[in-house]
Amino acid sequence: VILAAHEERMVVVSDLHLGNPASNTGSTFRSFLDYVGTKGFALCLNGDAVEMLQTLFSHLIREVLPLMTQISRLRREGRSVYYAVGNHDIYLEHFLDEWLGTTVCPFLNVTSGGKRIRVEHGHLYDPFFARSPAVYESLTRLGGHLLLMCPQGHRVPPSTSNDSDGRHRSSEVSSVALHHHRAAEAVLRRGFDVVIHGHTHQKESVVLRDGLYVNSGTWMRGTYVEIDHGLVQLKQWVDR
Amino acid sequence: VGRLSSAKLAQLNERECSYGDGQYLFREGETGTEMFVIQQGQVLVTRKAGEEQISLATLGRGDFLGEMALLEGLPRDANARAVEPTRVLAMGQGGLLMRIRRDPTFAMELLHCLSGRIRQLNATVSRLTEEVHLTQKDHA
Repeated sequence: VILAAHEERMVVVSDLHLGNPASNTGSTFRSFLDYVGTKGFALCLNGDAVEMLQTLFSHLIREVLPLMTQISRLRREGRSVYYAVGNHDIYLEHFLDEWLGTTVCPFLNVTSGGKRIRVEHGHLYDPFFARSPAVYESLTRLGGHLLLMCPQGHRVPPSTSNDSDGRHRSSEVSSVALHHHRAAEAVLRRGFDVVIHGHTHQKESVVLRDGLYVNSGTWMRGTYVEIDHGLVQLKQWVDR
Repeated sequence: VGRLSSAKLAQLNERECSYGDGQYLFREGETGTEMFVIQQGQVLVTRKAGEEQISLATLGRGDFLGEMALLEGLPRDANARAVEPTRVLAMGQGGLLMRIRRDPTFAMELLHCLSGRIRQLNATVSRLTEEVHLTQKDHA
């Protein structure tokens, strides 16, 4: 099982939900991958990239096949592609090592510019998932049927809790975010500098007691995290 | 106890300790009830072999040590000495269990680390066995 990697430059993207009836991100993601290849970044798909619980098969084929081609090209060009497992693609836990040309891992400890950075989807710190994973999965599947009828109904968290750069105003931290902050604190205490999560769909960048916590938000809103020689920044993709 | 939150309970079983260059975290044969995660600095692990102290490993940021005494309840198997100003997170049995519940990736990293150490030991045993066989052959 791969748990660690040394990559000076990497982009981290989470929650693409490719194949979800509500996801319409495939084409922008393809232009993003062109940028990743040109600039020489390694790529980490930080969970829920491929939808497996709320899949619409035709969406899945339309969005994943071109992605596979591009990932193969990135690999041929010598770029590393990692896939940290999330909760909507949890079946990938059975394919740790290799899947679709990516290195599949439960989480990834990245070293860049001498910094220790933990990249993890973060569903383990969702109190609902942690308490009853089976119920969580059943309800998520049920939600998938509803999404077929009403794709706009995909859970979109309020964006008012973040400034444009994702920094919280202290009085507006949601309880879900707090669970992630606590989990990040626990990891930071073990000698990490930065913790990167996804899962909540809420982009944020918060300085905690022992380091930085960044949530990449969801690619459905075009947010991602860039790591460059130890510098970690939350960014917004603008299609070029 | 009823009023203590799980976070506060975890803090009771986890503490940060600092060591100066040359200070020992623990010594071989001591009773140990804590394991350590290095937050900053470097630690040299040595063990007595005959009259000599042999160096087993130099550990750095994020590495674990002292887990054997904690897991097995046996005396420390080696010496651990800071070789520069070092800060560690020390945890007892309760702290370890609490941490695994709150940070499940810690268990995975610990297993990964122990597996790597067993692999290293196997390689060392193989090499030493080969050397002994060669020496015996030479003597014969």
